[in-house]
Amino acid sequence: MRTVPSAGALTAAVAISALTLTACDAGADEATTPADESDNGNGTEVSEAHVSIGMFAVPANLDYTTTGGAAIFEALLYNVYEGLVRIDAEGEIQPLLAESWEISDDGLEYTFQLQQGVTFHDGAEFDAENVKFSLERLDEWSANTPELLSAVESVEIVDDHEVTVVLSEPDYDALFWLAGPLGTMFDPDSVEDLATEANGTGPFEFVSYENAVRMELQRHDDYWGEPAGVASAELVYYEDASAAANAIRTGGVDAILRSEAYDQLESFEEEPDIDMVVGSTQGVVVMAMNDDHEALADPEVRTAIQHAIDQESVLAAATAGYGEVLGGPSVPTDPYYTDFSGTYEYDPDTAEDLLDSAGIDDISLTFNVPNRAYAEAAAQVIQDNLRAVGIEVTLETQEFPAVWVEENMVNQDFDLAVINHVEPRNMANFANPDYYWGYDSAEAQDLFAEAAAATDDQEYVTAMQELTEHIVGDTPAVWLYNPPNVGLATSGISGLPENDLGVGIDLSDVTVSE
Amino acid sequence: MLLTVLRRLGIFILTVLVASAVVFFLLGVLPGDPARAQLGLQASEEEVQALREQLGVDRPLPVRYVEWVTGFFTGDMGVSYASRSPVGPQVFDALQVSLLLVLGGICVAVLIALPLGILSAVRHHRPEGTLFSAISQLGISIPNFLAGLLLIAIFAVALGWLPSGGWAAPAAGVDFFRHIALPALALGLVNGAILARYTRAAVLEVMREDFMRTARAKGLTPGSALIRHGLRNALVPVVTVTSIEFANLIIGAVVIETVFVIPGLGSNLIRAVANRDLVMIQSIVMCVVILVLVVNLLVDLLRPIIDPRLRSAS
Repeated sequence: MRTVPSAGALTAAVAISALTLTACDAGADEATTPADESDNGNGTEVSEAHVSIGMFAVPANLDYTTTGGAAIFEALLYNVYEGLVRIDAEGEIQPLLAESWEISDDGLEYTFQLQQGVTFHDGAEFDAENVKFSLERLDEWSANTPELLSAVESVEIVDDHEVTVVLSEPDYDALFWLAGPLGTMFDPDSVEDLATEANGTGPFEFVSYENAVRMELQRHDDYWGEPAGVASAELVYYEDASAAANAIRTGGVDAILRSEAYDQLESFEEEPDIDMVVGSTQGVVVMAMNDDHEALADPEVRTAIQHAIDQESVLAAATAGYGEVLGGPSVPTDPYYTDFSGTYEYDPDTAEDLLDSAGIDDISLTFNVPNRAYAEAAAQVIQDNLRAVGIEVTLETQEFPAVWVEENMVNQDFDLAVINHVEPRNMANFANPDYYWGYDSAEAQDLFAEAAAATDDQEYVTAMQELTEHIVGDTPAVWLYNPPNVGLATSGISGLPENDLGVGIDLSDVTVSE
Repeated sequence: MLLTVLRRLGIFILTVLVASAVVFFLLGVLPGDPARAQLGLQASEEEVQALREQLGVDRPLPVRYVEWVTGFFTGDMGVSYASRSPVGPQVFDALQVSLLLVLGGICVAVLIALPLGILSAVRHHRPEGTLFSAISQLGISIPNFLAGLLLIAIFAVALGWLPSGGWAAPAAGVDFFRHIALPALALGLVNGAILARYTRAAVLEVMREDFMRTARAKGLTPGSALIRHGLRNALVPVVTVTSIEFANLIIGAVVIETVFVIPGLGSNLIRAVANRDLVMIQSIVMCVVILVLVVNLLVDLLRPIIDPRLRSAS
């Protein structure tokens, strides 16, 4: 039997990992009384404070069960909605609506003990019925990959506060997916208007969403756990990174998450009133190489391309050097992450030798690039690098997402294609031969199945590391870099999450100090 | 006169209908799939196909056209694929924002163009006339998004006088003016410079007319001759150009709204295109088309009022 980590570990992890920014000036907009303040050593925290945070991915509506992309759930999950478990800032699974759980030795039964006295914001009680309803409703999800929890066979209610989730086959990642959007607990009476309303059990109540402009959340006073650090939070949506950067400079917002104004980050580092923290994301910027092309079917040519690309220059062009150069398909926050960045060192001479040995002359490739600044910058460096070793590359800029997805992921009509894959643990796509990069390796599929069937942490990590090494050796793609998660906060704002873990952006620890 | 108005109205209705068909069928052949855009990269083809059927985008284009166009002209623009709420109120809200922005831009443009144009015409052989022309030439060569970025850098970031972006409704009073000032200026500066060139040309031409020489011969000073006889004549081409500029301003607003984070038609349109929210795109584009046509119609009807000679000609 495996059991849950203690609740104390949760508090400690949050305390250690919370992005602590020292205080000297306030972002608080509202009047305070002594009773609303507490001294945390960095200034006086204002519990009635309001915080306004600039964001980039714009929610089309509020229903992430039928609308793809991370924009909606990163705003709502952990703030308005909650699941049985959550992922903490270190990437570890922690209890949430389930106070503890046990996993049977065969890995097929997960028995959760639920928190008592939890209510939804509309007053409805949360109990085992909600777990059964929510997990069985995964069949109705059309977006955000419900198939990742397809191993869930049934949900059996033991009593009001105990529930057993039965899997059809062991799936080590099941808890991980339950900690993300797929594990959201819904109230059956609220699912009719998920696109426009949000009724959860979280520390914040949803107040309003002005389409693509701002979302208002306010502290839920009857929250079952530790109350949120601010009275209200406003998420302000920007489509332009510079506009958001100007807003934080002029006091339009108190903080910015996921900033992509890379050209301005150096100047932010020097701003005394703005603190910048660079964490990591779940993103893997990957250039797929289609082996339908005669030259790219040859492993020597693919290896030559790996050696020909100067990834440091790609990173410098795409993100001004922020982020990490990658050598494989996993990211630093993955439990099985291994640094493969030295596997194919930048060495044009080796690349030319490999191309000579492959004996294919006049290689000419079409490179499909989404119309995103990072991708266009990266593609130009890659085009120059490959030209230097004698490979002609024609850049084909395509509108993202509409055209790029259709041409590359659906029609699979490309030689080279680059994109930032932001979904967490997306290595599973290398075990799917139908995926657009067309990587079909029986060994990789077996290793992935072995990892999924693991029932202990070490077994899982070992299998995943072996799988990563195998994939890197086969070079179906060039893993360029892991984009940074850049957070900017004016002085006095603390508790913003440092890393983007592919789940909700937990705002409950955010505080404002005077 | 009545016949003219009816003829103009007839042309207007015909143009709107043709435009609706052009907008719809051009968007119909646009690559990219609304269902795929909504469900994201990871959705399976079966999920995407199911949504296509649910949205009705798998039906033939002519069927969808008739459905949309009858809905549009009976006040039901349909439901947005992305936001899942009715398109009408969203377009109406955004339209109000954009109209205010464009009106602000026109005010700025006219306030710049008339004095600059008239002065550079009156003083066209003197150094100050050349200076005024140079200023307007400079204005024409700056794209409005660049003007916007420069204004933000100066007035919001460096001086901290005005917000760098965002929007406040007119009901907010002073806050409204604080928010609209920079975008209206960015939008109006460039168009003001263009309009100033036309104003200058129109005034120069009027000053060479026989009736101006007659006015001077009757003893009027150059200034009063220009004010009493010249400007009214110079106004006809200026009003016509302003109406053409109106269309430019609406297009300029698309960019300016993005730079200043304003929830108008432009930013909605850009987002709708990215989401392949066809119903939303069609409705916004149709609203812009109708708006431009209405302004052109009004100007056509207004010109004979400004210049009585055009009444007999028509």
